[in-house]
Amino acid sequence: MELMDVSLFPAFDFSRVFIEPWKNPASVAWNGQVILMGLFICWTCGVLGSFIVVRRMALMGDAISHGILPGLALAFLFTGSLALAPMWVGACLAGLACSYCIEWLRLHTPIRQDAALGLVFTSFFALGVTLISLGAGDVHLDPDCILYGEIGFVPLSPSLRIGGMNLGNQALWTMGGVCSLIMGAVLVFYRHLLVSSFDSTLARSMGIRVRRIHFGLMLGLALATVACLESVGVILVVAMLVFPSVTASFFFVRLSSLLWASFPLGAAYCIGGFHLAQWLDCSLAGAMATFAGIVFIPCCLLGPQDGIIWKLRRGTNNFRMNETKKASG
Amino acid sequence: MKLGLENFHFAGGFSVISKILLGGVFTLLLPQVLSAEQIRGPESIEFFDRAMRFFEMRDHSVRVVALGSVLIGISCGMMGSYVVTRKLSLFGDTLSHAVLPGIAIGFLWAESKDNLALLLGASFAGFLGVACISLLKKFTKISQDSALGIVLSGFYAVGICMLTRIQKMDFGNQSGLDTYLFGQVSALSTNDLIGVCASLVLITLFITLNYKELLISGFDPEYARSVRLPADILQYLLWALLAFCVITSLQVVGVILASALLIIPAASASLLAKRMSSYLCIAASLGAISGLVGAFLSFLGERLPTGPLIVLTASFLFLLILVFRPHHGILVCWVKSRLQSHRIAMENTLKAIYQVIERHNFSETSIRMEELMQRRNLGSGECMKEVNRLSRSGFATASLDPHSPSGLPPEKRVSLTPKGWEYACRIVRNHRLWELYLTNEARYAPDHVHEDAEKIEHVLGEETVRELERILSNPRRDPHGKLIPSLVDIERGWLG
Amino acid sequence: MNNPHKPLEIHDLTVSYQRKPVLYGIDLEIEEGSLVGVIGPNGAGKSTLVKTIMNMVKPNGGYVKIFGRAPKAGISRIGYVPQRETVDWDFPVTVMDVVLMGRYGHLGWLRKIGETDRRIACECLEQVHMLPYANRQIGNLSGGQQQRVFLARALAQESSLYLMDEPFAGVDAVTEKTIVSILKGMRDRGKTLVIVHHDLASAREYFDHLLLLNMRKVAYGKTGEVFKPDLLQKTYGGRLSILSDMASKSAGVRVIEKEAYFTEK
Repeated sequence: MELMDVSLFPAFDFSRVFIEPWKNPASVAWNGQVILMGLFICWTCGVLGSFIVVRRMALMGDAISHGILPGLALAFLFTGSLALAPMWVGACLAGLACSYCIEWLRLHTPIRQDAALGLVFTSFFALGVTLISLGAGDVHLDPDCILYGEIGFVPLSPSLRIGGMNLGNQALWTMGGVCSLIMGAVLVFYRHLLVSSFDSTLARSMGIRVRRIHFGLMLGLALATVACLESVGVILVVAMLVFPSVTASFFFVRLSSLLWASFPLGAAYCIGGFHLAQWLDCSLAGAMATFAGIVFIPCCLLGPQDGIIWKLRRGTNNFRMNETKKASG
Repeated sequence: MKLGLENFHFAGGFSVISKILLGGVFTLLLPQVLSAEQIRGPESIEFFDRAMRFFEMRDHSVRVVALGSVLIGISCGMMGSYVVTRKLSLFGDTLSHAVLPGIAIGFLWAESKDNLALLLGASFAGFLGVACISLLKKFTKISQDSALGIVLSGFYAVGICMLTRIQKMDFGNQSGLDTYLFGQVSALSTNDLIGVCASLVLITLFITLNYKELLISGFDPEYARSVRLPADILQYLLWALLAFCVITSLQVVGVILASALLIIPAASASLLAKRMSSYLCIAASLGAISGLVGAFLSFLGERLPTGPLIVLTASFLFLLILVFRPHHGILVCWVKSRLQSHRIAMENTLKAIYQVIERHNFSETSIRMEELMQRRNLGSGECMKEVNRLSRSGFATASLDPHSPSGLPPEKRVSLTPKGWEYACRIVRNHRLWELYLTNEARYAPDHVHEDAEKIEHVLGEETVRELERILSNPRRDPHGKLIPSLVDIERGWLG
Repeated sequence: MNNPHKPLEIHDLTVSYQRKPVLYGIDLEIEEGSLVGVIGPNGAGKSTLVKTIMNMVKPNGGYVKIFGRAPKAGISRIGYVPQRETVDWDFPVTVMDVVLMGRYGHLGWLRKIGETDRRIACECLEQVHMLPYANRQIGNLSGGQQQRVFLARALAQESSLYLMDEPFAGVDAVTEKTIVSILKGMRDRGKTLVIVHHDLASAREYFDHLLLLNMRKVAYGKTGEVFKPDLLQKTYGGRLSILSDMASKSAGVRVIEKEAYFTEK
């Protein structure tokens, strides 16, 4: 066991973990870009994820992020390269196809939502892996990258050049663009999203196209997943989607507060995760998600809104109320 | 109830003890451990030869792989039946991701890719994951899907941190860890096979011994508790078995796809089976077929991993069932609706012929085509088509009027055959019974008369009409005073 | 308010589910300023009627007109209070948020919630005696309080036609009296209300018109004219559900007047 202690957790050296990354301009530039990328990812996924969680579709995020794989593979096979645009188009189409199949199965067969979800996305994912294996040939599509990404390589991404101007890191621009797009859409459609999530009948009577909002959300999810793919991989996207709003729900009551809270939380995940990865020398994305989990635990115990310790102090009737509420739907 | 399981307070007790036993069995028997043998033949062998080579099962590696895949298919199919019916589908997915840190810990403990250590570590992580999910659900307001998402991504993240950390540490043989992500059935050893067998035996034993109890507690847990069935213990045991099943299939299909084999064969079976026993059998068979075909396809192909192919086979079978299943399959429904629209058109025509004959007070046995066209509101071409369709089915005959005035083309007339007459009477009887029944309950607005068979068709079924007859005690006339043909009349043949 | 069209017009409405009729040939015209109670036994199609009007269910035949318009456009004129079981009480919204949702129909797409909207929301909450709870999450309320919040939302919508699905189910007696007085006040101000009600005994004093429903419209009219033993027996006792007709018959209830055969032309 001593071997595990020494090797698994390296010695905690304060200066190495906290000071060194910010010592000289070069490393500040490098780490700064990494952190900025992380911020974009956390904020995008945090905002989207609040709606996903509130609609009780948390695992839909998991499903879509797996389901885009055949789209990526087909785009790659058709164009023969890792060009960005066709992969985006392919991924979005695959994501929409995935959610459409799930809806169809749910409505037209006796198969339940959860089984339909599991069935469709695993089939899509299997298809994607098979396609990649069939056509991988020359270009290396690293499966590890898909599964947990490598955000540390962000500064290595080529520069974006428009009309002869060097605008800087392309990956950052792409992610920044996606982030602004999604934030903008949420801002413009906030009321539609809120009402259709809470009461679809009221939404319909107000003329809100509930189905379109749903597929719009799925599209946003597919976009965000593709954008985050290289950095955090498909599975850790789920962490970024679910943790912020669930953690915030132990402090705030209203949906708008949850959305606002995902900004400071996202920043915390980024910075905390970065330094955690500095210490442990492990995958950055994994560290960010782990930090999110670490933040979640005390919040769920101590948060004023139905935190566990608070409820225990108030008495045990609350547990039973929870159970009957859960039972009734 | 019969196993004395009440003695075990922890759900994991049963499985842990069985694992310890198995570990003992391993060490006692000391089977030959096969090194990872790929199922690939030399490149030059032809397709057909390769296929034959697979089915002859001469290669030990082929035998191991085929057996392993089939057994995994069967155990996942059976386990999956309970997973899908109890809505635990996403549980399996979460567990398959959540075991990652356990695998990393097992690797660290054993300092090599020792299967038993990895399995133990994975089990530990799996049970911890299950415990977290139930704690979250019980003590917080977090919904089930969010709780699953939290455990899935949280545990997976910790696992990834450990894995990437391990990659940087100084260990020699860590190549095997990646296979847990996508599975590499070609690297199945006899040890793994024994693990798979053990999983299958355990699952079969559990299901056979607790069949009735599982059925009741799955359908209505409250009732089960009220008759003092240990529903909670059964649930925990089921989760434990689920974790065990997932872990043993990791080697074959990998983390991502382990849950697929749990869900897809069982979901396909749910479209076909009506009872739990047939459900289990169908799911197990579908799983076995997927396993075998997937292994076969992987053997044929060069670079294709087995896990995804097994899953794709299972999905393909699902699609086949969806399209072709009796009663509700897509193809069947399409055919049915085509036949139904033909039938409705035919019934409308027959009813129209009856009504025209009735208008003439049953004085003639045939009617003029123009009258039919008027009654049915159709053009002559369409009307002729309808009549031809009736003739083909033997319900009517078209003829030319022998008595038409000279100088004009002979009029077309339509008459019903005895079979057609019987059919027409039945239809008229059904529709008039329905109108009579409804009239008695409220005033009947004149424009509510539904002459169109389709309108009534949508609303009534055959059983409903039979019930109507019994309730109304075979009345003779409908609200408009028109005669309702009785069954006796129909059998006697009206005009006879 | 003076609309040439009636608030609700239904003609020959037929809705079936899996080859069994749930609603058959319903004809209905409701005048403005009526407080209508829809009563009938379980499975009579009351909720289906409400869902068909709200365009949640497609009819097999006939039509529904809301202020002369088809349901898809017409439901924007309806204030709808759903059954309590259909609501997600864990949703992160406060009481005030829910009531303000009722105002969204009046705001344009991008216009923010203004002072008028807040004032109206507060007034509505005051009317249902829920203003002190404005900042509470909706899950932390009792059954009666939850019902009142949704009523406040419907009030805030300022519609002309209100449709409510069993608003008194599982509600305490005091809340019930409060809600009834609010409904009567709305009726006096010229609103039209159609309420699905589960309790026969209280129906007579709460509503001025009654719709007796049991798959078919048994009767519709002023409460005094319609609340009669024979009609009630037809609705509740003489069940049109085919299977239970046998039971009614054997209990000695005369379901069918055989003489009626010859009185119709």
